[in-house]
Amino acid sequence: MRNALLIAAIAIGQLTAQPTVAPSTEPVGPARGENVGGYNISDSFELGYRFRSLGGNLGKYRSDVNFGNGIRLLGSRLQLNSREGRGRLFDELSLTTQGLGNDPYQSAILRLEKNRIYRYDLSWRLAEYYNPALAVSAGQHLLDTRRRFQDHDFTLFPQSGFKLFAGYTRNSQTGPGLSTAQAFDSRGDEFPLFMDVRRQRNEYRLGGEATLAGFTLNFLRGWDNFKDDTPIGPQTLSAGNNTADLTTLSSFRRTEPYHGNSPYWRLFLTRNTRKFSMNARYSNVSGRRNFLVDELAIGADRLGAARNRQVFVFGSGSRPVVAASLNLSLHPTSKLTLTNHTGFHHSRMSGDASFQEINNDRAGAQLFNFQYLGIRSIQSITDATYSAAKWFGVYGGYHYSTRRIQSLEGQRFDGFTDSVFFEQRNRVHSGLGGLRLRPVKALTIQLDTEIGRASRPFFPVSERNYHAVNGRIQYRARNLSLSAQTRTFYNNNSVSLFAHSSRSRQYSYDASWTPGSRFSIDAGYSKLHLDTSTGIAYFAASQFIEGAKSLYISNLHSAHLGSRVAFAKRADLYVGYSIVRDTGDGRQFPSPIPAVDNAAIQVFSFAQTFPMSYQAPMARLSVVLTSKLRWNLGYQHYAYREDFSQLFYQNYRAHTGYVSLLWSF
Amino acid sequence: MAKATPDGYVGGSVCRACHPDVWQSFFRNPHYKSVASGKETPAKTGCEGCHGPGKQHVEARGGKPTIPFAFSLLGPNQVLDRCLTCHGKDFTRADVRRSSHTQAEIVCNHCHSIHKPSTQKFLLAKQQTALCYQCHANVRAQFSMPSRHRVNEGFMNCTDCHNPHGTPAPTWRMGLRPRMVTQALANEEPCLKCHTDKRGPFAFEHAAVRVDGCETCHYPHGSPNPKLFRRATTFAVCLECHNGSGEFGRQADGIPAHSPSHDMRNPRYQNCTTCHVRIHGSNSDRQFLR
Repeated sequence: MRNALLIAAIAIGQLTAQPTVAPSTEPVGPARGENVGGYNISDSFELGYRFRSLGGNLGKYRSDVNFGNGIRLLGSRLQLNSREGRGRLFDELSLTTQGLGNDPYQSAILRLEKNRIYRYDLSWRLAEYYNPALAVSAGQHLLDTRRRFQDHDFTLFPQSGFKLFAGYTRNSQTGPGLSTAQAFDSRGDEFPLFMDVRRQRNEYRLGGEATLAGFTLNFLRGWDNFKDDTPIGPQTLSAGNNTADLTTLSSFRRTEPYHGNSPYWRLFLTRNTRKFSMNARYSNVSGRRNFLVDELAIGADRLGAARNRQVFVFGSGSRPVVAASLNLSLHPTSKLTLTNHTGFHHSRMSGDASFQEINNDRAGAQLFNFQYLGIRSIQSITDATYSAAKWFGVYGGYHYSTRRIQSLEGQRFDGFTDSVFFEQRNRVHSGLGGLRLRPVKALTIQLDTEIGRASRPFFPVSERNYHAVNGRIQYRARNLSLSAQTRTFYNNNSVSLFAHSSRSRQYSYDASWTPGSRFSIDAGYSKLHLDTSTGIAYFAASQFIEGAKSLYISNLHSAHLGSRVAFAKRADLYVGYSIVRDTGDGRQFPSPIPAVDNAAIQVFSFAQTFPMSYQAPMARLSVVLTSKLRWNLGYQHYAYREDFSQLFYQNYRAHTGYVSLLWSF
Repeated sequence: MAKATPDGYVGGSVCRACHPDVWQSFFRNPHYKSVASGKETPAKTGCEGCHGPGKQHVEARGGKPTIPFAFSLLGPNQVLDRCLTCHGKDFTRADVRRSSHTQAEIVCNHCHSIHKPSTQKFLLAKQQTALCYQCHANVRAQFSMPSRHRVNEGFMNCTDCHNPHGTPAPTWRMGLRPRMVTQALANEEPCLKCHTDKRGPFAFEHAAVRVDGCETCHYPHGSPNPKLFRRATTFAVCLECHNGSGEFGRQADGIPAHSPSHDMRNPRYQNCTTCHVRIHGSNSDRQFLR
């Protein structure tokens, strides 16, 4: 019975996610482990071969999926626990890995702990990020980089009233990329450029926590260092993107080291009692970056004149940030909770850049640019929750926020200074209310709504007059789970000449049924609707066009189905299917950028609607060979199709799969 | 039966006699530390540390109602109170009382399973992604898009960006929404934990990044558009703000529309970032050209 429950729980767990086909999720058996010395050891690892066959746009496939061919340690898990909790060097060792070998998404998670003495957590992750300069955004910026992340956290005396922390985080991005540069003025041609991405962030942390007289004080001191040493060029260059333009670039080199650090403090004080709890936090970060740009471009400008241009820029940017908050929670009865959160945040960004250009050996005057952007915000968020009965509860709240933005933009040139300072404030008042019903234990109904009013939002697309209505109904019995959910969010942000309105409606339905350990099924459907209408203005043929509308309509339908069947405890078969389809505004082949001559306004008058479909059926067979060994075979098909392009050059169909052996005890 | 303390605590060894299935694998449980230490008071160790004194339960020869804290019978606030007795002082749970989950009466034992966890770490009732998807089906749909963060692939978890125990007011947008989004160093959006090159400070910040945050232009979960864009074309993303209208922008006189030299009929000008390459912030050009 216990085994059956375990298998059922795992099956439900796997089915409710949308898995990739590998690593395998079927267990060899209940993890029982083996006792060695004073430890219990359980272990599993899955070694396999991935394969891939692709037709269509490889770049788009690598951007979306990116699984390739080769041998992988698809997944592994090692768990050691001391049986008495008094191991000599450690009481728990837990190591989990995924995708090691050459998968695009690899990770290793380690925990090592000795009760009462220390705890060490390591998280290492690697992602291959491929961005093929996707044509939909007409991009020319390609990245084929690897991001590596590692986090180390060490805690001394983790169960005591006095703890010490130390931590280290490293984040790096390396690999080739393509960028663009414009020469020799703001109307000149653009040229693709090679860059060798080299970015790295290192963070060091030290801290502690002490509990005394019911108060707990937690403090953290950190140092965050960042450097970007990505060089661009030198290289032999083409004639540029626009062949009608006379601009040529025969040589280009740019070096722009960008280094800095952000030391920080964080303090946290908390106190909890039966009737109330409070906590306060304060953090202070002082970020600073220094930079230098050294650029050399040789060629001809758009009028055909020979140019030899050198640009030197140096300066710094700084951003001290102070944030603080105070939480108060009162729970005078077991049914009522009152909370207030008061937050304060102030960031002051300032930067300057000294710019000098040398054209054909003639030095221009030095231009000094500077700017300041200060954002200070204060929030007061008050909520009340009342559980009137087990079957009925209500909650509501009033939220207020005020923000002050100070802006300074200026430049100094040849002894003359020109700057513009402006200060503005905006406020939001919002209220929310909701209720929860549980007429029977398995059934939960939840409804809530929120309405907000903002004054002077910063952007045309920001939230101004908005309201949201959400509802959820869930039925959960032992073997059956049914749920339906709706979320709507409407925002209207209009001024005298321009208006932005967005309407988002989401509906989701989900069901899973696990009648026994041999069979389970899970299915769901979601519809995500979005339509926005925004006033825009632009130039076409030197004519300023106002009053145009940018319409965007998206109707995304997403469905998934998964089922698992076990055959006489010897084999498991999982089949799944997922599809996403954007039907746009209903037209089959809309033209997002219609051919226009002088009526450029039509570019935006047409609804921007981009119908596409993306589907991924999969199947996996897992056969028990011995009590500790399974053989797995999986297949997953990816099909991406765009209906908005007449060329279909981003479509692809990929056949992927794997075969593996999973050993565990 | 072992002699009970005046408070009614009988000790974990009594519980073992009838619940060997729970005890058998309990050495793997993080709560086993209290048992292993052998130094905790009865109220803070073993089964009774969470479930309360067992004397009445033993004398009644079982039955859930006789357990002082049988979690399946407790109301949401009682569950929260019980768990926070020990876990309430943690920094990451500072906002648990006011979190959206708590408001909806989703409390500890909805996501954590102490005795039958699917994950050793954090004792989650299911694998994290599956756990979150079971209520947030619309988010699951977003992560099924072609352009998405790699959550389904196991590279990321929901908790990389969200704190299910609640978060302080966001420091971007107006500080009221979104809720439950964790903050990176310097109380910034969590995006900047990984996308460090977008973080700055830059000599010339793109105000959109700092004032209203990354969601101004991107969908964080997934999008049918490349680069998690809100729109499929770059110019649509940019021009919906850069229309020179009304009281918006740094100087409240409209966010500047583009210059007359940009002929929007020409495809060259329909991809703004071809020239404005440093759109997240630049050190050498206030128009992000370099």
